[in-house]
Amino acid sequence: MQFFLEVLIGGLLSGVMYSLVALGFVLIYKASGVFNFAQGAMVYFAALSFVGILGLGVPFGLAVLLAFGAMVVLGVATERFVLRKLVNQPPISLFMATIGLAFFLEGLGPFLWGNETREVKLGIADEPIAILLERYNLSVSQFDLMAALVCGVLVAALALFFQHTRIGRALRAVADDHQAALSVGIPLQTIWMIVWAVAGFVALVAGLLWGARNGVSASLVLVVLKALPVLILGGFTSVPGAIVGGLIVGSTEKLAEVYLGHYVGGGIEGWFPYVLALLFLLVRPEGLFGEKHIDRV
Amino acid sequence: MSAPQGAVLLEVQGISLSFGGVRALNDISFDVRAGEIRAIIGPNGAGKSSMLNVINGVYHPQQGVIVFRGQPRARMNPHAAAFQGIARTFQNIALFKGMSVLDNLMTGRCTRMHRHFLWHALHLGPARREELAHRARVEEIIDFLEIQHIRKTPVGRLPYGLQKRVELGRALAAEPSLLLLDEPMAGMNVEEKQDMCRFVLDVNEQFGTTIVLIEHDMGVVMDISHRVVVLDYGRKIGDGTPEQIRANQEVIDAYLGVSH
Amino acid sequence: MFYREAGQFKTNYAADQQIFPLLQDRIGIAIVLALGFLVVPALAADYWFSAILTPFLVFSLAAIGLNILTGYAGQLSLGTAAFMAVGAFAAYNFVLRLPGLPHVVSFLLAGVCAALVGMAFGLPSLRIKGFYLAVATLAAQFFVVWALQKFPWFTNNSASGVISAQPVHVLGLALDSPRRNYLFVLTIVSVLALLAKNLARSNTGRQWMAVRDMDVAAEVIGIPLLRTKLLAFAVSSFYCGVAGALYAFCYIGTVEPEAFSLDMSFRVLFMVIIGGAGTILGSFVGAAFFVVLPIFLSIAIPAAAQLLHLPFNKASVTYIEYMSFGALIIFFLIVEPHGLARLWQITKEKLRLWPFPH
Repeated sequence: MQFFLEVLIGGLLSGVMYSLVALGFVLIYKASGVFNFAQGAMVYFAALSFVGILGLGVPFGLAVLLAFGAMVVLGVATERFVLRKLVNQPPISLFMATIGLAFFLEGLGPFLWGNETREVKLGIADEPIAILLERYNLSVSQFDLMAALVCGVLVAALALFFQHTRIGRALRAVADDHQAALSVGIPLQTIWMIVWAVAGFVALVAGLLWGARNGVSASLVLVVLKALPVLILGGFTSVPGAIVGGLIVGSTEKLAEVYLGHYVGGGIEGWFPYVLALLFLLVRPEGLFGEKHIDRV
Repeated sequence: MSAPQGAVLLEVQGISLSFGGVRALNDISFDVRAGEIRAIIGPNGAGKSSMLNVINGVYHPQQGVIVFRGQPRARMNPHAAAFQGIARTFQNIALFKGMSVLDNLMTGRCTRMHRHFLWHALHLGPARREELAHRARVEEIIDFLEIQHIRKTPVGRLPYGLQKRVELGRALAAEPSLLLLDEPMAGMNVEEKQDMCRFVLDVNEQFGTTIVLIEHDMGVVMDISHRVVVLDYGRKIGDGTPEQIRANQEVIDAYLGVSH
Repeated sequence: MFYREAGQFKTNYAADQQIFPLLQDRIGIAIVLALGFLVVPALAADYWFSAILTPFLVFSLAAIGLNILTGYAGQLSLGTAAFMAVGAFAAYNFVLRLPGLPHVVSFLLAGVCAALVGMAFGLPSLRIKGFYLAVATLAAQFFVVWALQKFPWFTNNSASGVISAQPVHVLGLALDSPRRNYLFVLTIVSVLALLAKNLARSNTGRQWMAVRDMDVAAEVIGIPLLRTKLLAFAVSSFYCGVAGALYAFCYIGTVEPEAFSLDMSFRVLFMVIIGGAGTILGSFVGAAFFVVLPIFLSIAIPAAAQLLHLPFNKASVTYIEYMSFGALIIFFLIVEPHGLARLWQITKEKLRLWPFPH
């Protein structure tokens, strides 16, 4: 039972980081209907830029700001040179364009900053929390908990931003209906830039946390692909879905690895979330919180 | 025009359909005789398209029975409906935009093509003969609808009126015994409407196809249909020959609006 | 003026339904085939066969496979490499465990294995479409590679997971030179490409395209959705499977499961997009483009760096390759979403009028 709890908590906490990546997907999907496959590459690029800038001798805070700046530039450039040119194309074209973007970033990142695995030090040790270990004999990583807190704060901040600011309202209008939003004078392109910049910021945070955990390397892109089953579980348009889906994927993949993995030789973490998501899709194609779609003819 | 007194081909009995809490159709019953043109009219949102969708199985009604050729069934699936000889067109054109007119019409014959895909891959013997035989039938429809010149044009490039005609052609290619037309003349100019009317009447007379038609243009409906069903907010409020419908007070109220 | 249908009257439907209704096109394809089968083998050096022509043909076949699924039937797949892996490892095991079987038959059976796996992963396509399906095919990508690594039976208990493809014999001839490998692959690819073209223009192909363009209408017409989609998955995976077998046996020689990575799936997808979705010709053009581009870059970048006196290292070539792939994809999606095959189509239409303006 003890062990089960440890695995579960560890899974939930790492699931929070999946949620964070999925959140970036959902933001962009809601605002522009684009399934942004490059979100993973953005996480990698953001983290790499950050360590790269840090390596130039820039202080930590400034490096975060500069890396964020780079993501804003990226967001603006994406809107300007990719999205704007592909307006009115079928969603699948936009999706493929984001695969192109992912390739571009996966090349640009190491081209600018080199490809050796770098460490990120956030000043929090990846050690068990002392109190829990003493009182309940539970080993819960301090770092994971911290990461979960950061995610929580970020999600809350985003929720407030979208509920209570003018930009947030405009964004929700755009998400609901592009044409209608455009016709009442909402500047679509500005909204898209903002959303991509925000998604870039989310990617930066995710990149820092993942990077601190596993180091910044190209494998970050693959880890981040785990966010896709999260989206399927949670629904493409639902922020709560991204959170809950991340937790489900994080916890079940760890539990499955520990309890089922040894029957088949281990390493099932890589595909288990996908199969889980697939099975789930067969039962509920619109995801946990997605809207049911009725075909009209 | 005198209504054909043929046998009943399709009978709709007590159909009720709702989406969530919204009642789209409420206890609708009517019949369609073989060889007639049957119109369904009613204001927007009356449930006309839903009725067609129920008949060919796109929607499944919660209550009621559909009797087609004497066989009662609670629900159909669209695929089975097609195989039993029900074809239709859609309110918003549902052609295959990336394919040529010819290919669109050929898909209409897919219920009659049975060769295995391995024959197709080899493009030999039986598959080739089948393809050519069906091509010949499709060419007859192309001639009938006077669309020879656009045979190889991708339908996405055609103007609206022609697309409607191609869609009719695709339905005809199936050689259906029951043809459902959902607003075949919507958005057309007078000339195009006249053409379409002529095609509908010719299909009915030359091929003997039974037609159920939704249309907003009252002039057209009263001219070409044998009998008319009137729906309003999911209820049936009138059923009869055009003359009877013209004289029906409830129908007049529904269209002109009265204070209740 | 010279390239047009004037004077070539079709008097029956059979003549009108040829793959190449124009006489000029028929002459053109005959020249291409003669070049491929006769001229090139007589002239080219081994490097051309092993580094350019054979991989070009193998990837053309994979691209045809993906094109059937994505371009014709409209079901986006990110798992192409997985189906190629199934083909490669199935062929290895057929050759290993059924030594009496002719190798060509083994390759075709490997394609059938891939088709079965493809159908299994195509089952969800009845309930889900678009992005959701794309993500579902990722499940195939990760699951297949994992299974090939985890179960040593597939790799004949190879400690490193790497297999060495057995020497291939066809009709008693050993495929022991790059030239023979090339000719063998060319034959298979030519035949399978013809069959794919036949399928695409038949009732089967029309049903695929109908499902792609509007599935609700397709169902109303009487097209069985699940069967049509599953057939697309099966045929597509068959092509990818054979391509995978040829990849292992006639091109690379030794492979490990990781070679069939997500990256390779994307590359094949890029070939389809850049070549032209929904055309067989596009699959060839796209594959040619993507086989030649890295070679071109690996020569051009060092040269350019030297010319501009910039620092240069080997790794940057890879990164620039990635960046060019990404940028090119975006460029093509913006400028010519129908791919290079469409450009060829437009050229042909222009040629019909040339040298007159109208």
